[in-house]
Amino acid sequence: MDIIWSNLPFLLQGAYYTLLITIVSMFFGSILAIIVAIARLKGNRPIRWLARAYVSIIRGTPTLVQIIIIYYGLADYGLNLKPLTAAYIALSISIGAYLSETLRGAIQAIPKGQYEAAYASGMTPIQTMKRIILPQAIRIAIPPAGNTFIGMLKETSLVSVITVTELLRSAQLLIAQYYVYMPFYLAIAVMYWILSTGFSFILERIEKRLSIYE
Amino acid sequence: MIKTNDLSKSFSGLEVLKEINLSVETGEVVAILGPSGSGKSTLLRCFNGLEELSGGRIQVGEIEVDANQSPRERNKQIRKIRLNTGMVFQQFNLYPHKTVLQNVVEALLIVKKSPKEKAIILGENLLKRVGLFEKKDQYPQRLSGGQQQRVAIARALAMEPDLMLFDEPTSALDPELVDEVLAVIKELAHTGMTMVIVTHEMEFAREVADRIVFMADGVIVEEGTSEEFFNRPKTERARKFLKMEEVTN
Repeated sequence: MDIIWSNLPFLLQGAYYTLLITIVSMFFGSILAIIVAIARLKGNRPIRWLARAYVSIIRGTPTLVQIIIIYYGLADYGLNLKPLTAAYIALSISIGAYLSETLRGAIQAIPKGQYEAAYASGMTPIQTMKRIILPQAIRIAIPPAGNTFIGMLKETSLVSVITVTELLRSAQLLIAQYYVYMPFYLAIAVMYWILSTGFSFILERIEKRLSIYE
Repeated sequence: MIKTNDLSKSFSGLEVLKEINLSVETGEVVAILGPSGSGKSTLLRCFNGLEELSGGRIQVGEIEVDANQSPRERNKQIRKIRLNTGMVFQQFNLYPHKTVLQNVVEALLIVKKSPKEKAIILGENLLKRVGLFEKKDQYPQRLSGGQQQRVAIARALAMEPDLMLFDEPTSALDPELVDEVLAVIKELAHTGMTMVIVTHEMEFAREVADRIVFMADGVIVEEGTSEEFFNRPKTERARKFLKMEEVTN
């Protein structure tokens, strides 16, 4: 146990990076998801096709492979990303694909009458989407998106392979130093668990706040 | 205020409106009656572009929409019409994520870009007018159907339209809630607002409408003053319809 306490600052720093990567990717992934969901529903044919291809490719390939392609693969073409930057990009692209599907379903669940009321009052399609449809769709999408976010938090462990010192890699580095496995792995497991529980709690609060109108 | 020339509308080959020629004068209250599937709601929805024309022309105020215009040109015209036209739907279609007052002022703020204080004053006055000022901070889900429809009327009036369209405004309401909505519409009719009302409420149509347009199978079968239509219907079709309505009421 002592070995954990004395290395706690190092592990906490790993947890900080895990959290940071999760939040940054969540943020950019959500923006990407909104754009892609709308592109799939309202875009013209080439745009719809492009959005579909993106979702299909990202969902059909392992996240680990995507991370490696962006970090190591792109280096072949002279694009040398910093590990953390590569992690942000890879995970945003990945989460964006999953979230866009969730959001697309939610947008489709909004009754036609909502569009008609907005159009009849003179709103443009963009105003209607932004003010009337999306706020309602996001509320519907939050519970399934919450699952994606928590999955995301755990998937950040994958970026340890591109030398980002998040939780998993922090533990691995300590193990290389002390030659014991269990205490460190157990410690980070507990930390992942605390982080995801905290996330669920926050998401629940958001969901409650957004559902006051029901 | 409204003039249609040979207005036609088909849904995937099925003709629901057949060369409709109809005029509505400024200040007139017109009720469109007819059996289900006669095309009356579709006609109403053509007036503000919620349905695209398959043929013919519509003029609302000074603005013309033609089936032969390019979609771009048509959309521009339709948007102009919508800025001067309020619409009330059978299913209310209030925005559930916005409070009653927010529902009323939304288009004022977003479309007209009115200053917030001004919009709120106007919105609150309209809510007073429909008797729902005390509900202004509630969400629509908390209101009865009749109250929701009154909010929807206030919302449509907020844009200060020259024309109001009502698409079966009481058909989704429990019977005991119908009167409060009809009272609001009647009051509005007395202010000289131009209104087109699709309805199944015969008594209400008789009382409020200057003119009745009776439709069946996508055509206007008969037109006349409310007095003429209800007391001396000219066509067999209209007589049958009125008899049926009498029986069901």
